[in-house]
Amino acid sequence: MKQKLGFSGWLYLLPTLILIGIFSLWPVVQSVTYTLFDYKLNDQQKAGLYLNERFNTDLFNETALYIDLFLTEDLSNVTGNEDKVKVEEVLLKVDTAATSYTESQGVIDISKEERTEITNLYENTKVLIEDLNKKYTLTHADSLPLLVEDFDRSIIPSNFIGLQAYKDALGDKRVHTALWNTVLFTVVSVAIELVLGLGLALILNKAMFGQGLVRTTSLIPWAIPTAVAALMWSYLYDGTSGIVAHFFENLGLISQSQDLLLSQGGAMVSTILADVWKTTPYMALLLLAGLQNIPGSLYEAASIDGASKFKSFFSVTLPLLKSSILVALLFRTLDAFRVFDLIFVLTGGGPGGATETMSIYAYKAMFGQTNFGYGSVVVMIMFVCVAIIAIIFVRLLGTNLLDRD
Amino acid sequence: MRFSKKKLLFMFAIVVSGYLFIMVFPFLWIFITSFKTSGEIFGTGAFHVIPEDPTLKNYAIILFEKGILRAIVNSFVVAISTTIYVIVVASLCAYAISRFHFKGKSILLGLVLAVSMFPQMIITGPVYNLFYDLGWLNSYFVILPYSTITLPMAVWILVTHFNQIPLALEESAKIDGATRIQTLTKIVFPLAAPGVFTTAIITFIAAWNEFLLTITLNTESSFHTVPVAISFLRDQFSILWGEVAAATTIVTIPTLIIVLIFQRQIVSGLTSGGVKE
Repeated sequence: MKQKLGFSGWLYLLPTLILIGIFSLWPVVQSVTYTLFDYKLNDQQKAGLYLNERFNTDLFNETALYIDLFLTEDLSNVTGNEDKVKVEEVLLKVDTAATSYTESQGVIDISKEERTEITNLYENTKVLIEDLNKKYTLTHADSLPLLVEDFDRSIIPSNFIGLQAYKDALGDKRVHTALWNTVLFTVVSVAIELVLGLGLALILNKAMFGQGLVRTTSLIPWAIPTAVAALMWSYLYDGTSGIVAHFFENLGLISQSQDLLLSQGGAMVSTILADVWKTTPYMALLLLAGLQNIPGSLYEAASIDGASKFKSFFSVTLPLLKSSILVALLFRTLDAFRVFDLIFVLTGGGPGGATETMSIYAYKAMFGQTNFGYGSVVVMIMFVCVAIIAIIFVRLLGTNLLDRD
Repeated sequence: MRFSKKKLLFMFAIVVSGYLFIMVFPFLWIFITSFKTSGEIFGTGAFHVIPEDPTLKNYAIILFEKGILRAIVNSFVVAISTTIYVIVVASLCAYAISRFHFKGKSILLGLVLAVSMFPQMIITGPVYNLFYDLGWLNSYFVILPYSTITLPMAVWILVTHFNQIPLALEESAKIDGATRIQTLTKIVFPLAAPGVFTTAIITFIAAWNEFLLTITLNTESSFHTVPVAISFLRDQFSILWGEVAAATTIVTIPTLIIVLIFQRQIVSGLTSGGVKE
């Protein structure tokens, strides 16, 4: 009899729950939040998740300081008495506004009244400067109009955009291409891997010799880092020194060896081939383990009943291998769908986006353009696809995947 | 139609050796290239099997100038520490799942399985911001988010292994008057050790090969691990294949040693993750 897990027993689970909570679940929730905002790290106004308007006091105080300084200097250029009074009025306003925020630092929340006040200040100052620029020759004629815009910019608008980014993504050609590339890569490479892997497993299951050697050799491509394998293949595929590219050229598969990585179709084929090389052995090992679990007596019974080798493969081997195949397919499909390292190192998504998958596009949006909002949307589309794939496979497998008692 | 036994054997031999050749050839070719001079690689000697003028210069540059040793050290630090903490945490969790009844067990297992299927990309953005706020970018703290990749897999494999240890052994120890701690140290640990070891090796390889988290969180080259450091050898303007080949040869050695020594454990770890037989 298994015991009930008492209170202290939960301590066994606690570390796992904490780690998964902080580094797996919380980030997912956070990513979903990112998708609802126009969240760009390199844009001062969008470098955070601002549900409400905010006020950048640092920018405001700095601007107030310079406007004060420049206007005071230009006061001597203003000859009309009426205008002089106007300038002094605005200067006073700027000073009052600035003193009320001298204590504040960074980005703060502001009330509606404060916001109106700042907008008024911005508009008054702007009108005054335009007016002065028309009438007089100011020393700071060029910098003042630019400077005053910073008053406006110190009000940070809310960057909450709701589902707009999803709409944009659905209409984004680059997302379509990336999704298509991902699906193409996944379907073709997993299909080839399954056929080759199954064939290899069947042969190895029968072979009297070489099993150990083949197993050792098969593990090496699986075990080396994908980035290393990708770099290795980028040399073999290289247009001038790559032996595989040279070989394909001699076979007449490509017209010149440079085409392999530099033409759109060639790059996709190269990526798929590299993936097939790296993961077919893994597939074969998984399927071989499944094959070895099928009792030999079943084949004997089948042959007594007069079944041909061909027939016994379809009525004995395949049905009994079904769950092994599905598990192998599930893991491989998900891995292929999430492919990143291989393409990142081998082609970088090129040429011209021909091998750009969802992961690569998301990475480029997030860490290349620091557009965390849109990048997260791309990731989220991928996440939904992965979830659908997983659900389909788990359904096909039945309940025995989660049955661990 | 029936093949004669000899013919069949011959066919197997051809297929198997063809397969072995394809698997080994890239490594072999990289190994050969690593001894070639760059003149030979970019010249007519590019496709020669035997280097005309064998040189160790590529290795010298990679080891002493390009800092690949630093990356190997980083990889060992990161992979070993990840393995240690993940194994401790996952063993506790898997033991509880395998030995106790509790509410939400299938939810927990479903969660573990679901996390192992997450696209890693989904956690990088938020974790990047978290690490930025904590000042943890460019540090060994990167091993903590490694748990997303390694922990679910480790829990999964360990549960399978723990389930294979008969519960009766623990019960009889208890009847004989062993304390909880004694049961753990005298019965459970020795029986569980092979499974734990298998899981440790798979975790180590997964951590060693991790790429995305390191390239996003540790942008400084002094914290690059092997996969990331090696990807930076390919820069857009000059690709020195001789150095790439030498670096690849060097970083493949640790993996090669692990595979040669622990292949049985690796195969058992890979195949025990699936469905219950």
